[in-house]
Amino acid sequence: MKRHIARSTLLVAATTLFVASPLVQAVDADAAKALAKQNNCFKCHAIEKEKDGPAYKKVAEKYRGKANAEARLIEHITSGEKAKFPDGHEEEHKIVKTSPPKDMDQIKNLVQWILSL
Amino acid sequence: MQDEKPNALKRCWSTLRKPSAKYSVLTLLIAGVFGGIIFWGGFNTGMEATNTLSFCISCHEMRDNVYQEYKETIHYSNRTGVRAICSDCHVPKDWTHKLIRKAKASFEIWGKLTGVIDTREKFEANRMRLATDEWERMKASGSRECRNCHNFDAMSSELQKQTPYKKHMKAKEEGKTCIDCHKGIAHHLPKEYEEPED
Repeated sequence: MKRHIARSTLLVAATTLFVASPLVQAVDADAAKALAKQNNCFKCHAIEKEKDGPAYKKVAEKYRGKANAEARLIEHITSGEKAKFPDGHEEEHKIVKTSPPKDMDQIKNLVQWILSL
Repeated sequence: MQDEKPNALKRCWSTLRKPSAKYSVLTLLIAGVFGGIIFWGGFNTGMEATNTLSFCISCHEMRDNVYQEYKETIHYSNRTGVRAICSDCHVPKDWTHKLIRKAKASFEIWGKLTGVIDTREKFEANRMRLATDEWERMKASGSRECRNCHNFDAMSSELQKQTPYKKHMKAKEEGKTCIDCHKGIAHHLPKEYEEPED
């Protein structure tokens, strides 16, 4: 009996965690691509092809399985930190702008979409 | 039997063709010059009134859609306080091209009357068509309205970031103009638009 109660409690706890967890939020790929287009990200990046910036698939590969991946990429596209170009020179990475301004949900969605590739 | 009284149009025309017996040439000349000034001044003032930001956003189609997007861009608010309003980008500055553009724009009144883009959904459904028309107009003029303020030769290699500077100089060599690369800079891009692969 005790074992049955414990199993039920675990099941309820797991279900609650699953429903409440932000990690299960589905990535809106269309919205992410639209934001990337609007910010001219595709001028320097492509999904598969290397341009001035690395291919998004390569970025996803680099950060796969890393705990700080999302936070690191958010920092990269919102802080204006230096990015290294193929010829070796460094330049401030463009800060991604959203409409309405500074909408972190849109930024997170973009980063999650890149990481999902 | 012949009609003895000519109709009004013929009478008017015949009066206009008669030399004046009442007014001196000087009077007619002065009246003509001042009449011309008033007509020309009124015409141009009216045309300029349709170039103001307040005129453009007096229609809810512009105010609720593209104006809201434009307000979040660098052409509306920036470090130096220089603002480009709708007509700076969408209406030619020189008189002949401006008159042609205004004449073409008058057809948009029909669109307003028939409510082609009178809801957000209709606007979005037509965004690609509207944007493409404007991009084609800009392309045909070699981005003339952009170049009223921007100039390849005025770009400083020291003040502009290295990557955009290189791209600008390459574009200049290839005979490209602003609109070839800069689309959707003051408004949202249509969802159907795809960035061309290099």
